[in-house]
Amino acid sequence: MVQITRGQWAGAGTSLDFKTGSWRSTQRPVHIHAKAPCHVSCPAGEDQQAWFALLQEHRAEEAWASLVNANPMPGVTGRVCPHPCETACNRVQVDGALAIHNVERWLGDEAVRLGWDYPVVAPADNAPTVAIVGAGPGGLSAAYHCVRLGLKAEIFEALPEAGGLLRSALPPTRLPRAALDREIDRIIALPGITLNLRQRLGRDITIDSLRERFDAVLLSPGCELPKPWSVKGAVPADLHEGLQLLRDFMDHGALPDNAKGDVIVHGGGNTAMDICRIVKRSGAKSVTLITASGLPGPNTAPDDLINVVPRELEEAREEGIEIIDHATVSRLIMKGSRVTGVEIISLKKESGKDGRKRRVEFEGTERVVSVDMVVPCVGEQVEPEAFEGYLDGAYFWPDNIYGRMAPRVFAIGDARGSRGTVAAAIGDGRLAAEAVVAELAGEIDPPADARPTMEADGLNTAYYANADRTRVLKLAVSERTFEAEIEGAISRTEALAEAQRCLSCGNCLACDNCWTMCPDNAVIKTTELATDGSHYVFDYDFCKGCGLCTQECPTGYIQSVAETN
Amino acid sequence: MAKSDTSKRLSELRMKHGRPPASPSEPKAERAATLREAQPRFRGLESGHRACQGCGEALAARLVMEGAGPDVMVANATGCLEVFTTPWPQSAWRVPWIHSLFENSAAVASGMESAMKAKGKHTKVLSFGGDGGTYDIGFQALSGMLERHHNVLYVTYDNEAYMNTGIQRSSSTPHAASTTTSPAGKERMGKRHLKKDLLSIIAAHHIPYAASASVAYPGDLQRKVRYAMGVEGPTFLVIHSPCPLGWKHDSAMTIEVARRGVQCGLFPLVELERGALTNIMPIREPRPVADYLELQGRFAHLFNKNDYRAQEELDHLQALADHNIETYGLRGEGLDPVDSTGAGHVRRGGPLAGRS
Amino acid sequence: MREALEGSLAIARAVALTKPDVVAAYPITPQTHIVENLSRLVADGNLHTEFVSVESEFSAASVVLGAAAAGARAYTASASQGILLMSEVMFNIAGLRVPLVMTIANRSVGAPLNIWNDQSDTMAVRDAGWIQLHCASNQEAVDTTIQAFRIAQETDLPVAVNMDGFVLTHTMEVIDMPTQEQVDKFLPPFEFAGALDPANPRSMGTLVDPSFFPEVRHSHHAALGKALAKIVEIDAAFKKVFGRAAGGLLTVEGDKKAKVGILAMGSVIGTMLAGLEHYQGEVGPARIIKLRSYRPFPAKALREAVKGLEKLVVIDRAISPGLGGLLGTEVSAVLSTLEKAPKVYNYALGLGGRDIPETMYRDLLKTIEDRKAPRFAVFDADLDKLPPEDR
Ligand SMILES: Cc1cc2nc3c(=O)[nH]c(=O)nc-3n(C[C@H](O)[C@H](O)[C@H](O)COP(=O)(O)OP(=O)(O)OC[C@H]3O[C@@H](n4cnc5c(N)ncnc54)[C@H](O)[C@@H]3O)c2cc1C
Ligand SMILES: Cc1ncc(C[n+]2csc(CCOP(=O)(O)OP(=O)(O)O)c2C)c(N)n1
Ligand code: SF4
Ligand code: SF4
Ligand code: SF4
Ligand SMILES: [Mg+2]
Repeated sequence: MVQITRGQWAGAGTSLDFKTGSWRSTQRPVHIHAKAPCHVSCPAGEDQQAWFALLQEHRAEEAWASLVNANPMPGVTGRVCPHPCETACNRVQVDGALAIHNVERWLGDEAVRLGWDYPVVAPADNAPTVAIVGAGPGGLSAAYHCVRLGLKAEIFEALPEAGGLLRSALPPTRLPRAALDREIDRIIALPGITLNLRQRLGRDITIDSLRERFDAVLLSPGCELPKPWSVKGAVPADLHEGLQLLRDFMDHGALPDNAKGDVIVHGGGNTAMDICRIVKRSGAKSVTLITASGLPGPNTAPDDLINVVPRELEEAREEGIEIIDHATVSRLIMKGSRVTGVEIISLKKESGKDGRKRRVEFEGTERVVSVDMVVPCVGEQVEPEAFEGYLDGAYFWPDNIYGRMAPRVFAIGDARGSRGTVAAAIGDGRLAAEAVVAELAGEIDPPADARPTMEADGLNTAYYANADRTRVLKLAVSERTFEAEIEGAISRTEALAEAQRCLSCGNCLACDNCWTMCPDNAVIKTTELATDGSHYVFDYDFCKGCGLCTQECPTGYIQSVAETN
Repeated sequence: MAKSDTSKRLSELRMKHGRPPASPSEPKAERAATLREAQPRFRGLESGHRACQGCGEALAARLVMEGAGPDVMVANATGCLEVFTTPWPQSAWRVPWIHSLFENSAAVASGMESAMKAKGKHTKVLSFGGDGGTYDIGFQALSGMLERHHNVLYVTYDNEAYMNTGIQRSSSTPHAASTTTSPAGKERMGKRHLKKDLLSIIAAHHIPYAASASVAYPGDLQRKVRYAMGVEGPTFLVIHSPCPLGWKHDSAMTIEVARRGVQCGLFPLVELERGALTNIMPIREPRPVADYLELQGRFAHLFNKNDYRAQEELDHLQALADHNIETYGLRGEGLDPVDSTGAGHVRRGGPLAGRS
Repeated sequence: MREALEGSLAIARAVALTKPDVVAAYPITPQTHIVENLSRLVADGNLHTEFVSVESEFSAASVVLGAAAAGARAYTASASQGILLMSEVMFNIAGLRVPLVMTIANRSVGAPLNIWNDQSDTMAVRDAGWIQLHCASNQEAVDTTIQAFRIAQETDLPVAVNMDGFVLTHTMEVIDMPTQEQVDKFLPPFEFAGALDPANPRSMGTLVDPSFFPEVRHSHHAALGKALAKIVEIDAAFKKVFGRAAGGLLTVEGDKKAKVGILAMGSVIGTMLAGLEHYQGEVGPARIIKLRSYRPFPAKALREAVKGLEKLVVIDRAISPGLGGLLGTEVSAVLSTLEKAPKVYNYALGLGGRDIPETMYRDLLKTIEDRKAPRFAVFDADLDKLPPEDR
């Protein structure tokens, strides 16, 4: 029996006996780790938010370790990736995307400089071994992830050096060879990785033998065979296909003579862009890129956008490259078998009756320009000789994200047909390795990450201070050569400052807002990590479900969900 | 009392209340039994109180208690805060607390403070009241307390009406707000009179410190509490505390409403020492008052497109906000980390302002 | 030490002897001399107390409430309008069971404005839940003041010490002023178990709903009931130290064998005793019952005191318009349980300071000789002064 106190006093904090949590009627706050959009859009699968969070606490090595859980080559991607993460960054809505690639590169270089160890342990001697064909970024990533996941990896590479297109095609102005070598060397030196050079599948070995000898086979041969190019059946006699021209230039440092005149490059990818710039830098009178895609702009649909690294486009224009977008070469004007001019026609991708996009050329927009050289850069396909029975036309086209082609056979990277970036190849390597682990364990697929994406409208931007994006120095156009890296590095101070700009979308920023603003003291702060990884827990005994914390959580990490009881 | 005695008492109190020791020399609290007990802050106002969902007053009081710490005692006027914290046999307070009447909290606090003086104790006395208990019925007792220079921090939780009795207008209710005793109707656009400029009246008592604060800026609010706690003599704080029930806004919007109230200039955040304006929170970019009003049902009649009076009253409120901005010089110049935008900013680990 | 002192000064000195921590007051005739004298004691360094000159009686009561709640011995004094302005706080002080002491220098309540003595003020707050003691002389007032502090802290109830304005407050009387040693021996330091204390933080003044409210009211009523014994006990203890008592709950004086009695509170007792001396030859002797404790109301002692009486005049110094005298009504009610209860004649006297001469003794007893004497009257009102329609 409760007995009333003289003067009706009540004891301190006895309100804890009254569980106001029972007032929650419609909604309750919960912590929901959403994917930050940078993470969602990263083909390599990096969680930028996660490693920025560590950098915000000045824990650079841990940040790098977190990064290389997905991507073992940040020094490379930090230089060459088209960084769709930055395009997706929610900070665009505040004052500009984070300079993610610059910080990524800084972390990669810092790891090399300070000799940070990859967070892997040597696989057991009797660990399953995976055969990997091709030592481009896809193959190297696959090998790394196999080791990370406890498997051994044996790589078969046709060429005398590892690196794939990174080595054979990417100009050192964008990817200095030293930077490339340092990272590749560290990966192939990892315990459990064996690299067999000058071993060409189809010539020295077969898929069947690999399938027999190894526990799984991962195919990352890239695309070596230029796609056939002609204009209404006409092919110039002195045709220089883009990638070959580039490789030759990388090998010998020289271009054919007619590259000194007016050059037309036909295509819309990285190869086209690099060719344009190299030809121009080598002294061409003019270089014009003709692309069917659109240039970046507010009205450009994502699937219409030219597929190049945005800053390459900027730099190319600085260097005087002309670009004719939404156009194609409709006729070659020949003098004998030599090209002297081209007819250009405007076009656009339009939705047809069946809803599929198709290219429509607009009659009456034809114009003729005179040229000395036309360089087609319309892409490459898989060299079919070794992959009989696996290819579906020009590529592998696996029907699942892991690249599974057959039991314990996976395709990775450019050869899959829908890729085209280093990061995608790296991401494929990880996905395939994870799928191999799952398959060897008797499971179908690795666990999928079902988290939702945190869009900008889920944030409360009132809480973010303005901070301009770190400015990165570039070589002036006049100082650009064939060797010197164009984009400069950022300093540690700059990297840490840039990390501070991360909004921590969908993940707790430990800002204390919920803890500070809950009128009911129902948010409890913990020194140790709570089970969800944050430092805060809801005390549902007292939370009334007002929704205030959800509203004031800057990152959208708190969400109101329907009350279930 | 000797200094060592004071710190001993404080450390005892801290241990009792589960606050981490303030200095390494202080003994560590015994291992807290629950997460709640291990909170790295003083839980002067505990959970389990019966305020409405999203109550700004409950939040404000919690913030004040954290800032003030355990070595205080509180006199609380009748009103929501009093009622929702102390339905016998429960109390949400962890400090000595007394409620006497609606209109005498300042006088009761005067007595408590006199008792402390007489006994040579240093426990700081706080006096709490709603806007009704402060602007209106308890005004005389408050004026007396200030004039007699009692060492009391008086805090008024300004939710701009008598909420506890069902949203009747007070002299703090803003112009044109609809309440149950100033309803908007065919003949009336809500309250006809203006919000009383209490702070100026308080400041005219020439007291050491008087300030306004808002729940939208907890850091600023607690800085003001701490400053006032350190002043020997009467100090005064008015805290803008949105009331979802009375202002008719979503319970999740309490902070947002308060923030807009400051950012439009209708609730200026200012500090006055000895009657002179010594600090303000600059407004980085003044927002239109409509941004603030549109979130609240008590101003819904101002958005009736078919009523010519609506625009007139909107313009009137805008003029009042502009007047505040002019009078106190609230317009910010450039980016100030503690202006009405910067003061809200956070980064990993907590608020940005006041960090090195 | 025996000294000729004005009542107010004597009270101020008595208060000072109790070493109050906090004194708060607001001036009102006829209480003013008490606070002025206290202020003087403070100014001259003869009293170390926090003297709070408030801006109203409302705040005076609130300040002493806060002070006592915070563990301080607290004192205030007021009268008339001041008491009414305090009334809300008075209910609160008692309901919170906060021990403190107030002197009421009894005075009428306006309108019409009138600054002279009657007991309307204290009657207006009779239900506030305080202990209300009435003093018939300044000596009693001094002694009762000192006792009141002890009663308050031993009962957790506030105590009002009533003394008639002007008649006592402004009158010189030879008083045996207690010494500090005596008071210290009799009155322990202030202690209030329910006091606010950061080391034991309680909340006072909570909201109590119907499921506990009647119990709270009962306990308050019971506390006053238990205070009856405390008042007697403390008066006896006082006598041990000081050699005199202050009147317990009530005292029976005059002719104890008389069949007619007069019951009153306050200084009118002295007048009746003098009247008895001069006029008993003419109208016969009377038993004079001096009621000291109005709240708690000493029903049992009263029934004892009226034993053998046939008629009892109850003098009220205030009226409840539409009813009559409150004291008279209450006495009648209490005696109604007796088998042979005296007939009660309830007369209001001396309202608004109308002089009560010694002849009143004779007039009262003469009046009740008539079988048809009214049971209630504003006895000394001259109805000829009223227009007929207002009589
Ligand atoms: C000029 C140019 C510029 C580019 N710029 C960028 C850029 O800036 N950013 C970006 O993200 N991407 C860029 N790319 C695309 C990027 O280089 C590729 O997407 C990426 O290299 C694909 O990696 P991969 O591992 O799938 O294939 P590759 O890099 O092509 O590697 C395939 C490897 O497999 C080996 N191989 C092939 N067949 C066999 C076989 N039968 N047996 C054994 N080994 C075999 C090859 O020798 C090669 O080493 C560019 C491409 C080009 C051509
Ligand atoms: C003397 C007196 N008059 C009226 C009331 C009724 N009453 C209690 S609380 C209150 C309004 C409180 O308003 P405010 O001070 O603004 O506090 P809020 O409830 O809004 O927080 C009123 C009118 C009362 N308790 N006492
Ligand atoms: S602010 Fe507090 S009470 Fe409101 S929903 Fe969040 S945790 Fe619950
Ligand atoms: S409000 Fe801040 S601390 Fe709370 S969950 Fe959101 S990001 Fe984390
Ligand atoms: S009515 Fe308003 S002030 Fe009162 S508890 Fe509810 S929200 Fe808070
Ligand atoms: Mg209010």
